[in-house]
Amino acid sequence: MLARRASTFARSFATVIDNAGVKVAAIDNGQPTTAVTFLVKAGSRYEPKPGVAHTLKNFAFKSTAKRSALGTVRESELYGGVLSASLSREYLALTSEFLRGDESFFVDLMSSFLTSSKFQRHEFQEYVLPVVEAESTAASQNPATHALELAHSLAFRSGLGSSLFASPHSHVSLDDVKEFAARAFSKGNIAVLGTGIDSAALTQLVEKALAGASVGNVAVESKPSTYFGGETRLESHGGPETVFIGFGAAGPADPALAILSAHLSPQPSVKWSQGLSPISAAIPQGTSVQPVLISYSDATLFGLLVQGSSPEGVKEAAKVATNALKESTGLNGDALKTAVAKAKFAAASSLDGRDGILGALSTKVFANSDASIEATLASIDKIDAAAFSRSVAAITQSKPTFVAIGSVQALPFTDELGL
Amino acid sequence: MNVLGPSLAPYIRSSRTLKKYVTPVAHWYADLMGYRKMGLKYDDLQVEENPQVQRALGRLSPRETYERSYRFKIASNCDLHHKPLPKEQWSKPEDDKRYLQSHILNVIKEEEERFTWDTMTVQRK
Repeated sequence: MLARRASTFARSFATVIDNAGVKVAAIDNGQPTTAVTFLVKAGSRYEPKPGVAHTLKNFAFKSTAKRSALGTVRESELYGGVLSASLSREYLALTSEFLRGDESFFVDLMSSFLTSSKFQRHEFQEYVLPVVEAESTAASQNPATHALELAHSLAFRSGLGSSLFASPHSHVSLDDVKEFAARAFSKGNIAVLGTGIDSAALTQLVEKALAGASVGNVAVESKPSTYFGGETRLESHGGPETVFIGFGAAGPADPALAILSAHLSPQPSVKWSQGLSPISAAIPQGTSVQPVLISYSDATLFGLLVQGSSPEGVKEAAKVATNALKESTGLNGDALKTAVAKAKFAAASSLDGRDGILGALSTKVFANSDASIEATLASIDKIDAAAFSRSVAAITQSKPTFVAIGSVQALPFTDELGL
Repeated sequence: MNVLGPSLAPYIRSSRTLKKYVTPVAHWYADLMGYRKMGLKYDDLQVEENPQVQRALGRLSPRETYERSYRFKIASNCDLHHKPLPKEQWSKPEDDKRYLQSHILNVIKEEEERFTWDTMTVQRK
């Protein structure tokens, strides 16, 4: 019975129906609620000017030809649905979660934003701009988020290096947003993902809803990513001292980095224990180290985010983290097996929740790959000590991306850490 | 009765004969009113001391807002001199469009929609 369950899951995971340019993928595990996500290639990577993608994301669920902003919110509240829009560097995701049976309303609601949003000036001034400003301020005041934004801009410069948040210095006008939306909202750039709904039913709804959308030959173009690297320091106070030590590479995701991330992660498998990570044993009290592994469609950024209350503590923790990273090229035997098992579990358990399922589907749906979870786990398993050592050596030999935020006089420089 | 006041215009426009005969009379009357001799447009005469028109005024583009303020300044100056403007400076009938009417109608529609949503009763089918 378990074998049959696993295989049906694998089959439904892999279904990607190509429907006149719009890709549709859905998994139905019998959940009581359904979630539908419209994934559009309108991430910050594709924006023509800084801040446009962030502004477009905040325009979601405002007035369209079919219903006003107030009507959208009130009607979906009456249905008991939850609407959200999120922006990543590659995609704009419009999500609605609702009870089974209400899918026609919510699919129609989200598709009307893609086909007939009004982009009214007064809504831009009164609703969108204040939220954009508030989100940008909150992001710049969170050192971890700010460090990652700076790291991306150092690592990838244009494209993936564009910030997720609008800056107060870049003026975004309503016409910029309208132009970007007109280019990005074409059928070739849209994918629809669903959980708790049957893929045939979702395809039918999407066909009807997106009948009026422009067919995609005005797709957003983007140059392939290159990794550069660099160093920057930012004076700041009021938050934890933060250092980000990163490396990156252009090219498809390497499973060895998932193993490296699992090996270095100080997150213990048993609560209240120190765990087996070489980092958690040696960092001083009051500091924390977190591995960061972000894979995009054609590049990866791997790094360690070190935070603490004092710059000296952060300096020491950063030294420990860098040494552990350098020594992990020699990982073999039982330690490697532990890391492989941890990485496999992380990959598999991410599919427990809706966010994980949608994350996994989104990476595959545009790449048109049919890889199932078994394939992902098998690719992690295939990495032996030699292949692991090669991958880690390759990435640590790239130019490091180093960001220090806090009391910059006391925080370390790259040569002090041996990078 | 809304802030735009009572109007027979929709009824007249709906009938072809009425429209044909009433339109020239309407144009003659708009000229006779004399606001064009002060450089104003018809929507500048709109009573703005109420919340709906204030919201509608907030929806004008910056250029439109500036031009409206400029027209008011010219007209106030006219009033001080107790004289109309020279003929070249009168506003032209083809430029005399209702720039505020659609915004006011949208605001009224939105207020009605909000009232409907606030007071509707929902029944489970």
